[in-house]
Amino acid sequence: MPLGLTVVLLVFGVTAVVGVVGYLIDRSAARNDRREGR
Amino acid sequence: MNLNLAHLHLLINHFPTIGFIVGLGLFAFALIGRSDELKRASLVIFVGIALMTIPTYMTGSAAQEMICVVAQKSPNAPCANPNVSRAVIETHRDAALLALVFMEITGAAAWLGLWQYRRSSRPSNPTLLTVLLLAIVTLAVVSNAANLGGPIRHPEILSGPDAAAATQPAGAQTAGPQTATGVRLGLDSGGLGKFILGVPWMWPVCETLHFIGLSLLMGVVLVIDLRMLGVMRNVSFATLHRLLPWGILGFAVNVLTGMMFFIAAPEQYTQNGAFHWKIAFVLIAGANALYFTMFDETWTLEPGEEAPLTAKFAAVSAFFLWAAIMYCGSMLPFLGNAF
Repeated sequence: MPLGLTVVLLVFGVTAVVGVVGYLIDRSAARNDRREGR
Repeated sequence: MNLNLAHLHLLINHFPTIGFIVGLGLFAFALIGRSDELKRASLVIFVGIALMTIPTYMTGSAAQEMICVVAQKSPNAPCANPNVSRAVIETHRDAALLALVFMEITGAAAWLGLWQYRRSSRPSNPTLLTVLLLAIVTLAVVSNAANLGGPIRHPEILSGPDAAAATQPAGAQTAGPQTATGVRLGLDSGGLGKFILGVPWMWPVCETLHFIGLSLLMGVVLVIDLRMLGVMRNVSFATLHRLLPWGILGFAVNVLTGMMFFIAAPEQYTQNGAFHWKIAFVLIAGANALYFTMFDETWTLEPGEEAPLTAKFAAVSAFFLWAAIMYCGSMLPFLGNAF
């Protein structure tokens, strides 16, 4: 695999994982807020 | 006798093991007794110990450099002092790295538990169960690391007649153990370091991710700090509180990538004054983050209300702490002696 592509994939891959984890946590918080009427 | 990082390692290396036993015991009592206050207290202990484990690992590397001076930088070169075994030290270091990984994951799960406690009137059982399971595994690996560290000798802290005895010719004293006893469970720090330094794109990738993590963290810190100081007063703190996990995720990325740098070239950091300050500020900033995660003063802040003086102080200190961390990080080659 070309060097540039490896770098881009790794950086974007880790960033995407962070984004997905953050989104899932936020979604559960949103669900909880609705339940508690916030 | 001057205090050095080896002394500091001896001082703080008991925190992860003893602290974790206390934390886990308290957590077990809390679960059995269904005490929310005790659960929160033990989660705070887990987060605090996870933060303390970072300097414990780093001062361990500094201690290794002090007690195992090698003539040439070769993977198999023995320590100059024949009473100190390089194999024993490296086995302990690898076990400590595994313990650090588990400790940080447990700390992150414990922080998530504290954040959920603040948001919800009832605890999140899956999170608490995850923390419990992680804490049990972590206690096992950290105890193993501590056990493997015991056989290492520390002649550098001796003074007076003891120091003279330690510097006697090798034949005149009892040699220390040359192989580690205990379960050799660990991560190959040496191999990981070689990979990070050896693969040309690995260091720049870690640098890029370090800055992405920093941006995420600093973005959340700035928004919360500005609200506390009177900007965006129509936003309630409960709304901003939902942003905190993003900041902690940024911090997690920075701990991960920062540890990669450290493992690859520990000597660049252990003898670097700017780095010592950076880690000290990170620990204080961790306590500051706990304030915004779980304290009442900010949580009850409704739209339009002015933040109390305590919250303003915490906000200003958070801003200065993170600015100081960025400054010390950027100044590693200039104030310190890295790179």
